[in-house]
Amino acid sequence: RAMELPPSHFPAGRAAAVAVGYLRYLRGGPGRGLELRTLRRARRQDIDDVGHKYCLELELEDVLDKGRTVHCTAEVLYHLGSKSTAPDVQVTVQGELRSTEEADQQFYNRIRSLEKELVAENIPDSHGNVPPELEPIHLLAWAASGYVIWQNSTENTKFHLAQVKHVKQVKRSDEDLQFDYVLLLHEMVSQEVIPWEVTVLWHPRRGARVPRDRRQPGLAPG
Amino acid sequence: PANMKLIFIFSALIGASLCLETFVGHQVLRIKTKNEEEVEQLQLLESLDHLELDFWINPSAPALPVDVRIPAVSVQSVKAFLESQGIEYSILIEDLQDVLDKEKQDMAESAQRQRSSSFDFGAYHTLDEINNELDHLASEYSFVEKIQIGESYEKRPLYVLKFSTGGSNRPAIWLDAGIHSREWVTQASALWIANKIASDYGTDDSVTSLLDKMDLFLLPVANPDGFVYTHTWNRMWRKTRSKIPGSVCVGVDPNRNWDAGFGGPGASANPCSDSYHGPSANSEVEVKSVVDFIKNHGNFKAFLTLHSYSQLLMFPYGYKCTRPDDYAELESLGRAAANSIQSLYGTTFQVGTICKTIYQASGGSIDWSYDNGIKYSFAFELRDTGRYGFLLPASQILPAARETWLGLKKIMEHVRAKSS
Repeated sequence: RAMELPPSHFPAGRAAAVAVGYLRYLRGGPGRGLELRTLRRARRQDIDDVGHKYCLELELEDVLDKGRTVHCTAEVLYHLGSKSTAPDVQVTVQGELRSTEEADQQFYNRIRSLEKELVAENIPDSHGNVPPELEPIHLLAWAASGYVIWQNSTENTKFHLAQVKHVKQVKRSDEDLQFDYVLLLHEMVSQEVIPWEVTVLWHPRRGARVPRDRRQPGLAPG
Repeated sequence: PANMKLIFIFSALIGASLCLETFVGHQVLRIKTKNEEEVEQLQLLESLDHLELDFWINPSAPALPVDVRIPAVSVQSVKAFLESQGIEYSILIEDLQDVLDKEKQDMAESAQRQRSSSFDFGAYHTLDEINNELDHLASEYSFVEKIQIGESYEKRPLYVLKFSTGGSNRPAIWLDAGIHSREWVTQASALWIANKIASDYGTDDSVTSLLDKMDLFLLPVANPDGFVYTHTWNRMWRKTRSKIPGSVCVGVDPNRNWDAGFGGPGASANPCSDSYHGPSANSEVEVKSVVDFIKNHGNFKAFLTLHSYSQLLMFPYGYKCTRPDDYAELESLGRAAANSIQSLYGTTFQVGTICKTIYQASGGSIDWSYDNGIKYSFAFELRDTGRYGFLLPASQILPAARETWLGLKKIMEHVRAKSS
C-alpha cells in the first residue's frame, strides 16, 4: 500500500515543504533558520477514509551553520477531502541542533532595551538585502511563516515566505516579545503572493508561538 | 579713414542676423595687435552687435592676443578688413562645428568606455540601464546586433541581441529571460551571459565553434512592462500589464498564454489570478511578437527560457502529463546540463518534465516551441529554493549566472553537434 515516490517530483516536494515549515515553527527563531537541503526518500500511503500519508527522509541545514547536516524523518498526513484541517505532522530530528542560547539572549535583551518599538518593512528589500541587525527579525518571521504554512497546506499547495512586508513590535507587560508581521507568502501552484497578518510571541526559553494569524482578504487587482 | 571703411564694409551685413543652430563654417581667429591704434580698431569691431562677433579674449592691450569667433557669413569680410589695416591674425579653428562634432564623439566614446568597464553585472539594474548595456554590447562587437522584434502592451520595445558571425539564416538558438517580471535573477543573468558569449567568441573553443555554425537570439527582458512595474510599484508583479476587458484586474500570465494546450489545467480563467491565461492564446503582444519572429525565421533548433526560483531544469510537457517523443534524449541532456551546473558551486537542479517536476501548467512557452518542431526546448528555474525566492541577494547574481551558463552551454554544444 505504500508507494515509493521520486524525490524530484512535486508531490514529495510539497509534503517535504510542510514538514520543514512545521519544524521551522517548532525549532526556528531569531537565531536559527532551518532549510531543506535534500529530500532523500519519500513514500506515500493511501489510508482509506483518512487521507494520504507521506513518509520522508530529509537532510536539513541551519542557514547560520551550513556546514552541519541535520538528518530528519517526518510523516505528513493530509486529511481526506479537507480544506480546513491542517495536515498532521510529526518530525524526528536526529542528533542535536546547534545551540542558539547566547544569540537568543542577546536578541532578547536588545529588543527589550529599545526605547521605541521596532518598526521595519520590506525584509529583504527589492535587491535581496537584509541589514544585519534585522536578520533575527527575518529568521523569526521565517519561523512564524512555518506555522502558517503548516496550517494552510494541502497536496495542491506549496508555500514559501516571499518577504516580510511590515513588522511592528508591540511592547508587552509580560516577558514575551511580540511582533505583528505582515508577511507575503508565495504559493507556488497558483503563483499568488498572499499578504498574511501574523502575530508572533517569542521568548528565549519558550520559543515562538503564533496566537493570531489572518490571511488579508481580496486578490490585488494590480 | 578706417572707421568709414569699417562701417561701409559691414553695413551690408546689418540686419543679416542668422538664427544659428550650428557653428558650421564659423572660424576662430587669433589677432596680434602691434599698437594701441590696432587695439582701438578691434574695440570698434567689438561694438558692432549685428556682426555677432564672439570675443573669447577681448581686445585690451597691444601685448595680449585677441581671440574671436566669427559667424560663417562674416568670415571673409572680417579677414579682408584686418588685411586692409595690416593687422596680423592666424586661424585658430578652421570650422568650429568640426571641432564640436569631434568633441561630442570623443565624449560618447569615453562614456562608452566608462560604461563598459563600469556596468556592474553583479547588481540589479533598471530597464533603461539594461537597454543601454545592450547598445554597448552591440557597438563593441561586430557580430552582435540589437534588433527589435515588437513592442510591449505599453509600447516599450522588445529588444533581442542577435549573435551572428555570418551565413544566411543559419540554424539558431533562442534564449529568453524575465517573462515573469519579478524573477529578477533571470534578466540579470541574461545580461551577464550575453557579455560572456560576446567576449568568449574567438577565445573559447566551444563558443567559437558554436557561433561559427549557429546564430543565437537573446531576449533579456521578455516582459518589459512588468519589469518596470516591479521597479516602480510592486516588486512581486509577475504578469504583463495589459488591460482586460470587463475586469478591474490587470495583466496576463505570459507563460500560460502560448498556444499549447491553451486554457487547460494549470492556468486560471480568473483575470485577477497570477496564472490567468488571458482571453485567448497569443493575446499578449509580448508572446505574439516572439511567436511571429520564430515562425518567420523558420530555422530555430533550440528554445531556452529562464525563470526563477526552485532550481529546476525542465523539458516538455507541462500541459499534459504524457512524455514527449524525445523524452530519453531530453532527459539525458537535461541531466548532463544539471551536472555541469552542479560542478561549479554544488548547486543542485532537479531534472524532469514540467508536469512531473513542478505542476501541470498549460499554455507554456517550451510546450509551444516543442510542438512546433523545436526539439531542444528547456525551461530553467534558477536559484534559490525558497530562502530568498524572488528576492535573491545581488551577491548571488554572478554565481547564478555562471552556473546557469554552464548548463546552457552543455545544451548548446549538443544542439550544435546535432545540427550538422
